[in-house]
Amino acid sequence: MVYLDNAATTRPSLAVMEAVAHSMAEAYFNPSALYKPAVEVSKRLEAARKLIMDELQAQQVIFTSGGTEANNLAILGHTARRRPGGKVLYSLGEHPSVKAACEGLPTGFEALGIPLEQDGRISLPAFEEMLDEKTALVCVMQVNNETGAIQPLKEIAALVKEKCPEAWLHVDGVQGFMRIQVRLREAGIDSYALSGHKIHGPKGIGALALSSRKSLKAQMLGGGQEAGLRSGTENTPGIAGLMAAVAGFPREHTMRELKQGLYERLLERIPGLILNGPVPSAPFAADHILNLAFPPVRAETMLHALEGRGVFVSHGSACSSRKARHSETLKAMGASQAALEGAIRFSLSPYTTEEDIETAVLACAEAYQALQAFTRR
Amino acid sequence: MTELLLVKYAEIHLKGLNRPYFQSLLLKRVKEAVRPFTREVQLYDSRIFVRGIEDTEAAMERVRRVFGVHAVCPAVEMEKADFDAVCRAAADLMTGLDGTFKVKARRADKRYFLDSPQINAQIGGCILEQHSQLRVDVHAPEHVLNVEIRDQALLYVREIPGVGGLPTGSSGKAMLMLSGGIDSPVAGYMIAKRGVVLDAVHFFSFPYTGELAKEKVLSLARILSSYCGVIKTHIVSFTKIQEAIHALCPPEYATLVMRRLMVRIADGLAAREGASALITGESIGQVASQTMEALAATDILATRPVFRPLIGFDKIEIIRLAEQIGTYETSSLPYEDCCTVFTPRHPVTRPKLPKVQEAEDMITDADMMVQEAIDSAEVLIITPDGTGAEVSGENA
Repeated sequence: MVYLDNAATTRPSLAVMEAVAHSMAEAYFNPSALYKPAVEVSKRLEAARKLIMDELQAQQVIFTSGGTEANNLAILGHTARRRPGGKVLYSLGEHPSVKAACEGLPTGFEALGIPLEQDGRISLPAFEEMLDEKTALVCVMQVNNETGAIQPLKEIAALVKEKCPEAWLHVDGVQGFMRIQVRLREAGIDSYALSGHKIHGPKGIGALALSSRKSLKAQMLGGGQEAGLRSGTENTPGIAGLMAAVAGFPREHTMRELKQGLYERLLERIPGLILNGPVPSAPFAADHILNLAFPPVRAETMLHALEGRGVFVSHGSACSSRKARHSETLKAMGASQAALEGAIRFSLSPYTTEEDIETAVLACAEAYQALQAFTRR
Repeated sequence: MTELLLVKYAEIHLKGLNRPYFQSLLLKRVKEAVRPFTREVQLYDSRIFVRGIEDTEAAMERVRRVFGVHAVCPAVEMEKADFDAVCRAAADLMTGLDGTFKVKARRADKRYFLDSPQINAQIGGCILEQHSQLRVDVHAPEHVLNVEIRDQALLYVREIPGVGGLPTGSSGKAMLMLSGGIDSPVAGYMIAKRGVVLDAVHFFSFPYTGELAKEKVLSLARILSSYCGVIKTHIVSFTKIQEAIHALCPPEYATLVMRRLMVRIADGLAAREGASALITGESIGQVASQTMEALAATDILATRPVFRPLIGFDKIEIIRLAEQIGTYETSSLPYEDCCTVFTPRHPVTRPKLPKVQEAEDMITDADMMVQEAIDSAEVLIITPDGTGAEVSGENA
């Protein structure tokens, strides 16, 4: 099996599984309890928090159930602290957990989508145009989950600082965390969402990191855990797993070379191959995501044909692939009908090998050969 | 006092000398339906009594779906000697109701110390005393409290309509062509309702459709099986045939040739499984392959009757039925059930049979492909509880 759907989820590493198992078998105590073993659990939890704070140069880290909750907490929690009114800007490539949260804000807030360039990055001139002193919140993701486009966060933060220093800048870092280094304070980012299962950690754990101890309004009420911002007994097995995932994420890897190899070899074999998003050699292309279309073969057919050859990929984004709709992100980038109907996402992990890529190239070439003749007549 | 279900049957009353056959078959089906709850099921005096249940609502929902059941009544049964207690129980049953009512007594035990009018009057009086919001109307009441005096006293008010029809197994077996769309499960339901055991055949075109599309079809079969019991489902690998049609036949005839080969495969499977008819969800003119001419071109290949219970239905009527049966939501899931790649843009709507034959003859090894599709079909046993055990694979 060649698994190239790492942007959907990753296989937990052995160290992660051991950390989760240990937490469940031995360190299962409630971190709020007063006896010694529980205090030890609480210390491990704080150590995990510290590890992430250091990684991001954050002032505060709130553990959540994952990326979706972290995005919701930032968007709903920040706007609830403001007087309703003003603009909320989000890129048209945002994940549904950001888009839906922005669009669902109470009346008074005006949610506006920032257009994308053809390469998947936001249009900076358009963004500058939209930005004014009435802007309350800006949401731009670090790495787009469908195309791998790295957003120009530095320029975005600079524009926010220049035109509306009061606005909150939230970054969905689910696809970028551990893959691209970011220091929140220096980067001018107020909040940053991350998820465990995208970095070989467990599902059901994530965090919202804040660059300073700013006030958010809690969206989950109860026992006051996580500095009152996220009530509910801490998911200590998840947090132990997340910690092991962060500590063990390979800093050295060959994803970029492998991805370029995959693209170039497919380009040689598949006439009419379409690239959605940045060229793999571009500095703003993430190392692990490659989005291609193989016209005239439709995405679903290609996906199953690859599945039949033991290669697992996704079409569009896994979160929306059960809805028979075309990708909003690709549409915003002005993708052609052929690109929309055929978009397949390959996403690598640091553990992807040269042989995996070789198998994938052969499988694609074979599937394309077998299927390209069958077009609608 | 114990709770029980009283099950009434419908059309079986019209049967003559073979009535006992239908009765015992219905009894068997009701027993199967309530097996997870109880084994105390009896036929008595033209009704079926289900005793020993705890979750009345769940058992009722199961019995309601048994073909042949006209209505299910949740009832209580108690000692008849203490008539005051019977009156109190009757009043309790009326709790929460308002409007008009009447009491309808049936006295099978003619030695009982009250006659029917007396029972009606006394129980009615007791109910009126306790429920001031109720009034008596003996001509057109909103609620009828039924009292039956046999070995014990039996009381019931609610009467939940059943699905009707004839008990499954009383009318042979048919092969349903199940696509995953809205129509075919409804067609299957309608024929199954007349007592027919269903087998289903689905044409699967991997990689043009995937695992989710197959799961969808199995879910639909599972919903149908909650009415008609076990459905043996045949998953036919259809990709090679579709690719051959696409490569060899004129595009405007592609759908029709495909339908014809599907009918031949379904007919072959029906022969093997002892099914005496085919069932499709076709309705005249709904799509190009369902014009009268197109239907004629596929019908001619079946060596047994093809039942098309939706033939005169509008789409909206079919949707309404699908909603009632409970298949609509699953049918509406978006996974492609047949691939648009193989759907020609301009299909022929008034085909001439020789032309169709000519198109089909382009596939020279069609006979072999049909036989191979029949032989290699995957067979799954679908039951309401979803345990689809595979009974055979490649060489079924």
